Amino acid sequence: MAADFVQNWLATTPGFATPFLLGALGLMINERAGVLNLGCEGMMLVGAMTGAVVSFHTGLAGAAIPVAMLAGALVALVFGIAVVVFRTDQVLTGLIVVALGDGLTGVIGRPYMFEKVAGFRDLDLGPLSDIPWLGPILFQQDILVYAAAALAVLVWWGLDRSDAGLRLRAVGEDPATADIAGVNVQLFRLSAVVLGGALCGMAGAYLSLASSFVWTEHMVGGRGWIVIALVIFSGWRPGRAVVGALIFGGAEALIPRIQAMGFDVPIYLVGMLPYVLTLAVLIVPTILRGERSPAPSGLLLNYLRQDRR
Amino acid sequence: MWKWFAGAVAAVAMSALAVSGAQAAFKLDGEPKIAMLQLATVNDGGWSEALEYARAKTEEALGVEIAYTENVPEDNSEILRTIDLYVSRGYNVIIGTSWGYGDAFLEAATKYPEVAFVNCAGETNNSVNLESFYARSYQGWYLAGIVAGHLTQSKKIGSIGGYPLSVVNWDLNGFLRGAQSVDPAIEMVGVFVNTWYDPVKETQAAEALLEQGVDVLGSNMSTPGPHLSFQDQGKWSVGFQIDVSDQAPDAVATSMIYKWEAYLIPTISAIIDGTWEPGEWGWWEGIDTGLFDVDPIASWVPAAAVADVDAARAAMIAGTLDPFQGPLHRQDGTLAVAEGEVLSDDGLWGMTYFIQGAIGTMPAE
Repeated sequence: MAADFVQNWLATTPGFATPFLLGALGLMINERAGVLNLGCEGMMLVGAMTGAVVSFHTGLAGAAIPVAMLAGALVALVFGIAVVVFRTDQVLTGLIVVALGDGLTGVIGRPYMFEKVAGFRDLDLGPLSDIPWLGPILFQQDILVYAAAALAVLVWWGLDRSDAGLRLRAVGEDPATADIAGVNVQLFRLSAVVLGGALCGMAGAYLSLASSFVWTEHMVGGRGWIVIALVIFSGWRPGRAVVGALIFGGAEALIPRIQAMGFDVPIYLVGMLPYVLTLAVLIVPTILRGERSPAPSGLLLNYLRQDRR
Repeated sequence: MWKWFAGAVAAVAMSALAVSGAQAAFKLDGEPKIAMLQLATVNDGGWSEALEYARAKTEEALGVEIAYTENVPEDNSEILRTIDLYVSRGYNVIIGTSWGYGDAFLEAATKYPEVAFVNCAGETNNSVNLESFYARSYQGWYLAGIVAGHLTQSKKIGSIGGYPLSVVNWDLNGFLRGAQSVDPAIEMVGVFVNTWYDPVKETQAAEALLEQGVDVLGSNMSTPGPHLSFQDQGKWSVGFQIDVSDQAPDAVATSMIYKWEAYLIPTISAIIDGTWEPGEWGWWEGIDTGLFDVDPIASWVPAAAVADVDAARAAMIAGTLDPFQGPLHRQDGTLAVAEGEVLSDDGLWGMTYFIQGAIGTMPAE
């Protein structure tokens, strides 16, 4: 009984963790380039709706993912043009993206509310899935879970090992110096924002195409904000984002199971778990690291060559 | 504790209704112009959609037009601003759709004594030109429970609720009670998702119930996810607020649906005729008014279940059956209602517990 419970819990955790991870990877790319996009919730909503609409019309969940990513990227592009080119305040512009995403998806997605859409089911990897205990946990996930894991590696390699990643980080740490070194700051930042938007769109599409097979208004339900905390928790590192996403996903997966088991626990307290975790995640790293923050030092600072000191 | 106390006071006050004097009928000044304030979008798949159906049916039945505004949040200044706009344009009948509108509606009713207000909510504010209306929805869930009781093979049914409030708890308990009328050994796993609306959390709660061997789900929520999960596993479910059978036709055995027009048509008609007398303690009625029912019941549901539902519905209308008639025990085994008695209104509003046979936790007050 207890073993079943733990197995079920662990087997559903990756599905909960995936949207957190995808969103965190996206925001991480933005932020390493020095742009904070608080509009994650809005971009996820756009991704969730676009994914559902495409899947509804074509019946192809696989085709819905790239389109959802494109939609997320498009919203991010609007944000990017405002922030990078017109140098608007990053925080305020990000908040506008949230409102924009919520409103747009409410209007456009209206006819699609509650329509069942084709989505991603858990894979059956034959003998691997049948491995006792570990099989359901590791080898009975939907394909996007594996895709997210691969993306985490890719983002790590891209940021930490590739030439472009080095330039991108330079832009995020000290845009003026990067500029002198011949890096096109504006272009790098805009590209990072668009790439981040695409991943946030994918995170949203996961919610509608893999978690629930349906689009409904406001369905992201605050997960975009948890993603923002998760990036801070991870110290802007993809590897830690995987761990963080699993912790958050595990907390979310635990709640209904604890209740269904009939355990005598105060559900309001259990329901608070993801938010308490968010808070802890924001506090603990600052305590551990003291004054030195791992945040890119150019974060939130808009850059224009004429302003260079 | 405070909530329980407030509930008790309200209920005691309610029972005083019988002896309190009748008020003068409300007279409308001029032609009726009616408007409805909707909490969410009208195709939200649940609460607001049921009220939207009622709005359309009322328009048709009375030959009137009812304007509406969507997404009016439970925020007093927003509600009052919307009402001000309508009243300034000559509207004189305003329909609200949420418990959270109660205070703003009372304020508006005082500000505009010439305007009639009704609000679809549980216990809340009433005055000479404001009436709150609500349903004894546990009666409908009792009928849904009978269907579940006939369908279940594992003798384990499940419920997903939003928050553990009395208006939700009596639905969950009513559902279990109905199932137990078929087989007293039936148990119900109750899960609260702590939200009114989250397809991801609702779907996960359904998956958790399936893992526990639940084979009939009563969803007190409104997104389709839980029904789809049960359909995938070849199990059954009961929908809420509106008919959800098109979402998962092989799973949804029936839906416990609201027919708010059963209140709106006669009430608005009385307002227009100048014979409306708002109840001093609101309007809180049961299945005898046709306000809700399990409708439709899928063709594949056993005939015996339908017969039992029909019999129970008739008995409730006749007043010979109450879902919470004694003996009724709480989850912990203590007696809630003694033999020969029924749970009072006071007891209903203070229902902060699961009844015997439920698996799950109700947070202590």
